[in-house]
Amino acid sequence: MPVLRLPKFGKPVKYAYITGRVRAMKTKLIPHEMYQRMLGMEIPEITRYLEETQYKEEIDLMAKDHSGAELVEYATFANLAKTYRKLLRVSIDEPEFLILEYLRRWDIWNIKTILRGKFYGASDEEIMKYLVPAGELDQEFLEGLAKKEKIEEVIQAFDGTDYYEALTQYDGQMLSSVENALDKLYYFRMERAVGGTLSVGGGLLLKYVRKEIDVKNLVTLFRMNKAGIEASVIQENLLPGGKLHEELSRMAGQSYNEFVRGLEGYPFWGAISDVVAEGGSVSRIEARLRAYLVRYAWAISNYHPLSILPVLGYIVSKDTEVSNIRKIVRGKEAGLSAELIEEQVVS
Amino acid sequence: MAVIRGTKPTRAVLIALKRRIKVAQMGHNLLKMKRDGLMIEFFEVLTQARTIRQELVEDFIRAEQSLNMAKATEGALAIKSVAFALQKEPAIELESRNIMGVVVPKITADSVQKQMFERGYGIIGTSAAIDDAADAYESLVDKIVTAAEVETALIKLVEDIEATKRRVNALEFKVIPDIRDTVRFIGFALEEMERDNLVKLKMLKGKAQRAEKAAEAAKLAEAAKSKAA
Repeated sequence: MPVLRLPKFGKPVKYAYITGRVRAMKTKLIPHEMYQRMLGMEIPEITRYLEETQYKEEIDLMAKDHSGAELVEYATFANLAKTYRKLLRVSIDEPEFLILEYLRRWDIWNIKTILRGKFYGASDEEIMKYLVPAGELDQEFLEGLAKKEKIEEVIQAFDGTDYYEALTQYDGQMLSSVENALDKLYYFRMERAVGGTLSVGGGLLLKYVRKEIDVKNLVTLFRMNKAGIEASVIQENLLPGGKLHEELSRMAGQSYNEFVRGLEGYPFWGAISDVVAEGGSVSRIEARLRAYLVRYAWAISNYHPLSILPVLGYIVSKDTEVSNIRKIVRGKEAGLSAELIEEQVVS
Repeated sequence: MAVIRGTKPTRAVLIALKRRIKVAQMGHNLLKMKRDGLMIEFFEVLTQARTIRQELVEDFIRAEQSLNMAKATEGALAIKSVAFALQKEPAIELESRNIMGVVVPKITADSVQKQMFERGYGIIGTSAAIDDAADAYESLVDKIVTAAEVETALIKLVEDIEATKRRVNALEFKVIPDIRDTVRFIGFALEEMERDNLVKLKMLKGKAQRAEKAAEAAKLAEAAKSKAA
């Protein structure tokens, strides 16, 4: 794994400006009550409503190329990217560093998408459609990567960066090892970056990152234990780090019932016990665990008003808002029942 | 009466035709048995095909629902991105087998259903909804391969049953009756020839007898003349 050199910032780190900006940006988020109303609307009505919100610019821009649920999805993702880049522009020092580290997840998404597209043989225009430039790598750089002829050229473009070691795991046959290596790199960096912060709120942020790692590992265990995959393969797919890594690692390869019984008593059990008891699908359990994580982020965002925590709360809220809108419109497009869609929406 | 054209009404031809009737009747019986056997196989395969078609429709609906769910929870962008990573195409092997002389395909597909870590996407960065959609479509592809095998066998059986039925009917309503008619025709012709011969013989016999009588009468007249002289 690469050595992460943490930058040194002047003390005290100033969060007043960024938290003030975030407070203002938060007022533009869609009120939670609106989701219930959107469930009763048709897609064109939802689109018209979104045109009265911060999504207007993107919807107007993309309406000539897209329509319906696709328009809403593309427009909300574009707005997400714009919002996160704005957050990066208005922050400095430690806040900028931490926000950047957090938003690298979008860089990972984009790198994976480009690699997958090259692997498949998709055109660069096709690949560009699925990119979301919400991290450090901007649109121009990503376009340059998408235009490369082969995967090897894309990998070579990252020579000298932390991504290179993960990318060189590509064996020419499958991308899964590279994708897993990129995800492991992301969480390794996050845990180290947040663990090195000196300001107030850093401890809770670290708790959140570790909880996210635990939730990801839990979902992996649910998926792979239910499929009866052997322990050694499962363990290769677990993220290092997190608070419960050792305990969760021991659960790899257990029978599904034994695994589920072993989860009782953990803090997240309350969020999933009813679904597990009903014999619910792993995707429903996963939705509950994601919601649990989001609510934890919201809960801790108010603990220290002049810290990174309100910023985290806003980033998670924005991501959740885009995700909720997409779930509603795609669910309606697919003819899913309101109850099924509502189950997925986090508010 | 449909007589075979160009048939010479001779005894040799008659014997040959009688032999042909026997062969044609044997062939007719065998083809009827083949037809009946194929019909039994057809109905068995038809039941199988109906079941598989029903299962195929159910699998398709399930696959569509899983994909819709995945699009809703992850977004179409994520689904399309993951779809690029799935590269390994199933290997289809085509062999043939025989059902009552009808050659039908035997299709086997390798590596259709895969474990989630064999599909090509990283497990950590994807979700259970994507697994469900991939599982459902793999099951659908498997079912399509089975349906292709069974439905092709059904089509081939139908084609062969039709061909066999045509041959059975041709033998029953055309070939054998024509041969029988021709046999009858030759029989009549031979009888007629015999009657002709008989009449000719009788005429010749009558002529001969008359000539004999005339000769005798002339002889007697000669004798009487010489006596008188």
